[in-house]
Amino acid sequence: METFSLLADGFAVALNPFTLMLAVAGCIIGTMVGALPGLGPSNGVAILIPLAFSFGLDATEALILMTSVYYGAMYGGRISSILLNIPGDEPALMTTLDGYPMAKAGRASDALVLSGVASFVGAFLATIGLMLLAPMLAQVAFLFGPAEYFALYLLAFSTLGGIASNNQRKAALAACIGLAIAMIGLDNSSGMPRLTGGNMHLMDGVDFLVAIVGLFAVSEVFIFIESHGKSSAIGVKIDKITIPVKDIVRTSGTMLRSTVIGFIAGILPGAGASLGSFLAYMAEKSTVRDNSRFGKGDPRGVAAPEAGNNAAAGGALVPMLTLGVPGSGTTAVLLALLMTLNITPGPLLFTERPEVVWGLIAALLIANIVLLILNVPMVRIFVKVLSVPPGVLLPGVTMVSFVGIYSLSGSSFDLLLMIAFGVLGYLLRKLDVPTVPIILGILLGNHMEDSLRRAMVLSGGDWQYLYSSKIAIGLWIAAIVGFIAPLFLKRFITKPSRVEPDEASDG
Amino acid sequence: MSDRVLGLVAVFAGLAYAFAATRIPTSFLSDPVGSKTFPMMLGGIAALCGALIALKPDRPGPSWPGFRTWLALGLAVAVLTGYAYSLKPLGFLIPTAVAASILSYQIRPRATHALATGIGLSLGLYAVFRFLLGLSLAAVPKGWIA
Amino acid sequence: MSKVRLGSAGLAAALLSLGLGAGTGVTHAAECIAPANPGGGWDFTCRSIGKIMYDIGVVEDPIQVTNMAGGGGGLAFTHVVSERADDAELIVAASSATATRLAQNAYGGMTADQVRFVGAIGADPGVIVVADDSPIQTLPELLDAVKADPASVAFAGGSAVGGFDHLKVLMALDRVGFSDITSVKYIGVDGGADAVTQTVGGFTQAMTGDMSEIVGFLKSGDVRAVAVLTEERVPGFDDIPTAKEQGIDVVAVNWRGLYVPKDISDEDYQKWADALQTVADSPEWAEQMEANGLAPFTRVGSDFQNYVDEVVAEINQMSKDIGVIQ
Repeated sequence: METFSLLADGFAVALNPFTLMLAVAGCIIGTMVGALPGLGPSNGVAILIPLAFSFGLDATEALILMTSVYYGAMYGGRISSILLNIPGDEPALMTTLDGYPMAKAGRASDALVLSGVASFVGAFLATIGLMLLAPMLAQVAFLFGPAEYFALYLLAFSTLGGIASNNQRKAALAACIGLAIAMIGLDNSSGMPRLTGGNMHLMDGVDFLVAIVGLFAVSEVFIFIESHGKSSAIGVKIDKITIPVKDIVRTSGTMLRSTVIGFIAGILPGAGASLGSFLAYMAEKSTVRDNSRFGKGDPRGVAAPEAGNNAAAGGALVPMLTLGVPGSGTTAVLLALLMTLNITPGPLLFTERPEVVWGLIAALLIANIVLLILNVPMVRIFVKVLSVPPGVLLPGVTMVSFVGIYSLSGSSFDLLLMIAFGVLGYLLRKLDVPTVPIILGILLGNHMEDSLRRAMVLSGGDWQYLYSSKIAIGLWIAAIVGFIAPLFLKRFITKPSRVEPDEASDG
Repeated sequence: MSDRVLGLVAVFAGLAYAFAATRIPTSFLSDPVGSKTFPMMLGGIAALCGALIALKPDRPGPSWPGFRTWLALGLAVAVLTGYAYSLKPLGFLIPTAVAASILSYQIRPRATHALATGIGLSLGLYAVFRFLLGLSLAAVPKGWIA
Repeated sequence: MSKVRLGSAGLAAALLSLGLGAGTGVTHAAECIAPANPGGGWDFTCRSIGKIMYDIGVVEDPIQVTNMAGGGGGLAFTHVVSERADDAELIVAASSATATRLAQNAYGGMTADQVRFVGAIGADPGVIVVADDSPIQTLPELLDAVKADPASVAFAGGSAVGGFDHLKVLMALDRVGFSDITSVKYIGVDGGADAVTQTVGGFTQAMTGDMSEIVGFLKSGDVRAVAVLTEERVPGFDDIPTAKEQGIDVVAVNWRGLYVPKDISDEDYQKWADALQTVADSPEWAEQMEANGLAPFTRVGSDFQNYVDEVVAEINQMSKDIGVIQ
């Protein structure tokens, strides 16, 4: 088959000792950057672009280094989610929900290995999907107009109710807080500033990294000051590191389903990895028969978002390569890299520059395999983090967060905002208001509003336009079902006890 | 009780937000939905959620810390704020050592241990950021190095 | 682990001189601020000009690119004016969008004379395109369709309402005597490629943007350009008629250039102007321009400063005339 001979050519370019060394180095740096709160995959790739030039790397070598960093960061984001309940980057948000409870129950290494395997499955299958289907899949983006995107975001928010808290009112309030924060800044449609209070720092809105680090990392410090480190994962005795074969086998179905969902979310330029992992988690939670352990350390709750977000990262390369539309912040950085290498992605890339495309695909496959192999030994190092006493670990995490955020803009304003988010996060956690919907609101709010407004421009203010295509109608139905179903199901299922993150520790 | 307060605060904040949204300046080139509609809807929904929470609070409510803990939390916020302001003028090393020591002491009140933690973290993290990740952090105040 | 350390340490050593910058410390290499996220035109300007300057040896160290997105370039502009006004080792990417926003007072009271414009070395011709299966063949046909029923034609573009892409459409409509600008349907999406996607998908009827954004889609046959907004036809795209030859007198090119802080010495200003001129004359840049659909457009030094001043005044007047600003 032609595909395979092209791929073989790709590997011929990509496989030699030097490039393998680059892949290993890239994977390690990427994992580190991904794991540190406040530093995300885009940071990692952005730091390394100038490096690629000063080393005089050629196009293929530069691509291998970058993709290794990119995938490394996607893998690394889960580490602090699981160990510290602090998402390393935004797509790893959902992994905190079940990963951290697993760690608290002494199963940190199982969670890490399982999520590593899930990441591999998601990323590997997505790369193969990219390889076989990219030119065809590019057409999917043409089917999504503003109305369809609006329905897609609506679907995400309508399923929020069942997340992390059994109190739908509080989850909805949290989503509103996030969306309200997202509105701050320049209005994309009119270019006018909104709700900034005239503050120049707020013109570009609140950076979601500031919110994530504040709500999760800084508030964690406050929780620790209150509790002096009792009832956390830190200091929990860790089992010997084994490969949790049983869990991997049991969650294989979860991984495959989540990969498909994540991949599709990744292909849509307006959706991206965060939505991919979110939808994968919610779909898994709502379709499995016994979901009572979700949110308390269910291995499926770890496998689903990780397979989902890594598949989405692979899927996001489809519109980036075939249309030149980056589906996420990180693919935007990769796009910049390609353009500096004099490669302009677009509909003709696959036919005009096959060596670049297949070299990239080979690079992705190599990065994935390197990451899987590195992961098991690296887990040994990472779980050691938990044996660091909280009096050292927590101040350390805080300082890392501060520097990470400080490096974004070099202004103390973002740091103050982060502290404010920390205080807010502490109060909301005490009040059992989930913080995950806040981040989702900040991430998706502007996209959601923009698609609504664009749809209304196109229809001239006719609201029926929002459900005028088959895809839009399908998404609306899913959204309505997703919103109503939990309300009805609750009557039939015995009400599970209130999720108290500090008490869930079994398994 | 806590949930009732939360609900009322949310009602108030939601309405205030919606009111602030009505005063967003718009250009006359605006689209059918405009800059105000979506934020106003959000404020309204937030107020509605707040009202529902206030009417039907969770039981049991949260357990709030005592006065001494509030004081400690206030101190932590003050330390972090001071840290945020001092990074630029004072460089990384000194503010980090001070802030990390205080936080460490607050989590585990052992003075020498906390001091060692602060200094160790300050030097160690500086090495990681500067040499491993290549962030160009200033180590000490500008005037100290030629 | 020791192997791990070695690898990272090697990379780290190389990273030392590069760093993230962002005003957090002293760096010796010159810095180019791209006032937007990676991937767009400003980012391209910084990265390609910076790379060529280093490759051909006009600067000693690689130029470090900082992305400072915010306020459509306003955050970077304010940063330069208020905090880096005498930094001789700083260049900032600019384009027609910068001039447009300055002219429309979109940078919160900042004005064009608070920085010095060094030069432009290439321009992205404005284009108006339709999907390949569209019944519309020429620009006058498209404009007539808007005149007949404004609701029947929606435009997609990469800039916000009132921005440069929107202005192109409004200017063209202005030339055919259509002035009811609020009835023109325009959606601003995230960049030109996105705008093309919406047009190919049939959600909008036409797209307005820059040539570089549509080159791939033109070649693949997904879209057709009904007009290019230049004085003459663009070399390499000779079959696309200009708006002018179709009787619509609109010229809009998106130049790619740089500005520097105001308070640097004249020697430093001249140094950057000369460096830019050298890049403009290099075969590497010619190659970059061709690959990215840029047309030659070299204006450097005081010549360029005068040009920007004129353009700002012109856009300001025009925006008032067609009613985008008061």
